Amino acid sequence: MTGDLSKTQVFGGDDLMGKKIKNEAIHFLLSGLILISILCVCIFLFLAIFMNHKSIETINDVAEIYMSGISKQISLHFETTLRLRLDQVDALTETVPSGNVSDRQATRETLSRNGQARGFEYLGLCAADGTMDMIYGDALKSQNAELFLDSLIKGEKKVSSGSDTDGNRVVLMGIPASYYMEDGRECVALVAAFPVEYISEALSLDTNDDMVYSFVIRQDGSFVIHNSDAYRSSYFERVRALYENVGGKDPEQYIEELQAAMEANEHYSSEFVIYGEHRYLYCSNLPYSEWYLITFISSSMLDRIINHFSNWWVFASMGGCVLVLIVLLLVFSRYFKMTQQQVHELEIARLEAEQANKYKSEFLSNMSHDIRTPMNAIVGMTAIAIANIDDRQRVQDCLKKISLSGNHLLGLINDVLDMSKIESGKMTLNTDRVSLRTVMESVVSIMQPRVREKNQHFDVFIHDISTENVWCDSVRLNQVLLNLLSNAIKFTPEGGTIQVAMYEEGSPKGDGYTRMRLQVKDNGIGMRKEFQSRIFESFIREDNTRVHKTEGSGLGMAITKYIVDAMGGTIELYSEQGAGTEFNVTLDFRKVLEVEEEMILPAWNMLVVDDDQQLCESAVLSLKSIGIQAEWALDGESAVKMVAMRHNMHEDYQIILLDWKMPNMDGIETAKEIRRQLSGDIPILLISSYDWSEIEEEARAAGINGFISKPLFKSTLFYGLKSYVYGSVDAMSIEEHTADFTGKRILLAEDNELNWEIAEALLEDLGLELEWAENGKICVEKFQRSSLGFYDVILMDIRMPEMTGYEAADAIRRMDRPDADIPIIAMTADAFSEDIRRCLEHGMNAHMAKPIDIEEVSHLLERYLVRSE
Amino acid sequence: MTLQECYITLGGDYEDVVSRLRSERLVQKFVLKFLDDGSYDLLCTALEQKNYDEAFRAAHTIKGVCQNLSFTKLQESSSLLTEELRSGCTPKVEFLMAQVIEDYQRVVGAIRIFREELMHE
Repeated sequence: MTGDLSKTQVFGGDDLMGKKIKNEAIHFLLSGLILISILCVCIFLFLAIFMNHKSIETINDVAEIYMSGISKQISLHFETTLRLRLDQVDALTETVPSGNVSDRQATRETLSRNGQARGFEYLGLCAADGTMDMIYGDALKSQNAELFLDSLIKGEKKVSSGSDTDGNRVVLMGIPASYYMEDGRECVALVAAFPVEYISEALSLDTNDDMVYSFVIRQDGSFVIHNSDAYRSSYFERVRALYENVGGKDPEQYIEELQAAMEANEHYSSEFVIYGEHRYLYCSNLPYSEWYLITFISSSMLDRIINHFSNWWVFASMGGCVLVLIVLLLVFSRYFKMTQQQVHELEIARLEAEQANKYKSEFLSNMSHDIRTPMNAIVGMTAIAIANIDDRQRVQDCLKKISLSGNHLLGLINDVLDMSKIESGKMTLNTDRVSLRTVMESVVSIMQPRVREKNQHFDVFIHDISTENVWCDSVRLNQVLLNLLSNAIKFTPEGGTIQVAMYEEGSPKGDGYTRMRLQVKDNGIGMRKEFQSRIFESFIREDNTRVHKTEGSGLGMAITKYIVDAMGGTIELYSEQGAGTEFNVTLDFRKVLEVEEEMILPAWNMLVVDDDQQLCESAVLSLKSIGIQAEWALDGESAVKMVAMRHNMHEDYQIILLDWKMPNMDGIETAKEIRRQLSGDIPILLISSYDWSEIEEEARAAGINGFISKPLFKSTLFYGLKSYVYGSVDAMSIEEHTADFTGKRILLAEDNELNWEIAEALLEDLGLELEWAENGKICVEKFQRSSLGFYDVILMDIRMPEMTGYEAADAIRRMDRPDADIPIIAMTADAFSEDIRRCLEHGMNAHMAKPIDIEEVSHLLERYLVRSE
Repeated sequence: MTLQECYITLGGDYEDVVSRLRSERLVQKFVLKFLDDGSYDLLCTALEQKNYDEAFRAAHTIKGVCQNLSFTKLQESSSLLTEELRSGCTPKVEFLMAQVIEDYQRVVGAIRIFREELMHE
């Protein structure tokens, strides 16, 4: 008991520790979550920004390629258009030969016709001095006449701009050719012209397209062709006036760069942002002219698409980030909950383990106390005995007490050993054929003295059990019943009632099984509810104040529960404090499938008297199944009346069974009364679950012929009543049976001389004649040589040299003679059920364990010798 | 030395044997006869020759005789030996045999003293 005090402080400390660990875990989880969230946001932000940037760059690259391609296309288109027109003019000169001065008029007409057919609005001939002789159309003036003329004189094709007399701007195209002019001079070139608008239209320069627009300028920046909103005459002026900054460059710088490129006759491309728009500029030289085509492509549409795209990109990454965060949060919270749960479970497990530990140490201190008590008694009593060695009575008393204490101690130790076997999983069941009758009888006989000691009422009910032999571990079944019963006795005060009942039900496991319900009931102190729920745990005992003096290890119920579980059964408990306790054990047993000895008795009329109606009814049923008609009465008075009535009708009961303990008029009084009224010799038997040794004399004096002890199994009744079949009224005297065997001859096979002599001495006393066969072989030979029916029974030892008992039995059964079915009873020192089974398998009728018990022998012999008559 | 004292000395159950055989005369006769019983010698020889079948049978017989005569001690040790020999030679046989020898000597010793005293009377 001293060990418990130090425990509580430790508990508090552990709790704090537990909380600390819990807090640390939460802390860690939270900081981890925050860290990962931040990391997640950063990565996504970085990705969004970086990728956005990258994608814009990439798209710009793509746009540049695209735009430069477009502007090249446009300049190519322009070139092609000009070339086409030039070629047309060229074709004009080729189709129309220059001819003579004389037919110049006809040539002019042809030229005029062909020129108009090709859509030229102006056509003229240009002299070397620059004078124009118009074939049709207004007079034209080149804007850069000298340069134009120079090229033409050199024999080069040339395109230039100019205007007519009305100031309409036109494009001039000169092809070197020699025709005769009006004044008779030879010209240097044929000049065709068409309005500037034509090219604008052809190149769609006018269309107000957001995407693309072009100018044609000269090297000095002056416009040749421009769109409507460019009202200044020079592109450079326009740039200087409109833009402060062109693609990160000074306008002047830009113009210089552009002019340098024009000078070098190279392409020039640039990219800049104007009014928030990306624009791409491409400048290229146009052939046969001093013109430059500047194409602008605005990327506003592309920008819109790109912006749209990058917006989407940002949204998507933000969305992704949020999603990932949400999922992360969910996972974390779930994980957190799980961790909490685990911590909680661990906590519970720890508390349970501590509790179990506490029980164990409590148990240990109880046990050491419990062990010390009988041990002290043993030591003390031994000392007293030594001191009084000459006082015989005193020594005897001491020894008795020592033996009691020793047994008690043994019980405790057995329990502890059993429990340790169970806890280490080493307890196994040794299943064997078991007679439930034997089990119940032995349990009852063990319990009787203890019940008597506490002056309690004890009763056993067997409710019509048809299967008495089952496969089961009898030792463990005994243990279960003894544990339950000794608890019942222990916790029931003096004068209380204890009942054991046994019912048979159909087993759900099938036909080969039977379900037994064992009920142990008392009206003792009962148990508290809390204790009921823990009773089957190890090391538990009902609180020490109430059952202060109770001895025992506290393991009994745990062991019981374990055994019942191991047998595949259930145990239930109903208890109320102050009212009593009831245990119900339900077990399924495999039936022993063997040909049961037919249990049939003559159709007697019987009377069963017991104060318990259930017992009466079940006994009547059992009796019916062995062929007896029985009636029952619930008390002595009505029993006496029934007997008297029957007597008057001349239909006396043949046997009367009386319960010993009945209210008002007990069995002995009833017997006395019946004997007083009836002079006849109707056998009256006492049934009781108590030991009758102390009342035997009184009972006999009252005219009771014998006893049948409860539990009342079918076989109990059968064997208890069987002796009355042959009119041998007094069941208690064995001597009467012994006389019956005179003149019977027995062949006894036994290899050991001493055993043979003992058997001979014993059996001769019964009037039997014996012959000895020293081994199985001799036995077979002797039987073979004997005349028919010479021997009545063979008693057979099993372990013999030359030929074993099994072989000998086989040999005899195989013989071809009418008495080959002579009863053979095995006699062996082995009492294992396996041996018995083997004996039966080898055709022997019965088995008898050594040492030879004269009562058993005579019972068995009676069975076979009487039957053979 | 009375027969009862002889039983206490040899480790047997006198009451049991008398209740079964019903006569002290018979018991005394058989107890004295036990000295002539050859099963023990047979057991020793069989074990020496490592004939475990024979040894099993001999041990079995000793067990049977002891049961008949209620020589509890010797019966217990011979019973253990029998069970061990049932499955042939095992490491435990020697150890169990030592117990049988001890118990047997005790029984035989007690009976011899009893017989001596009987002859001198």
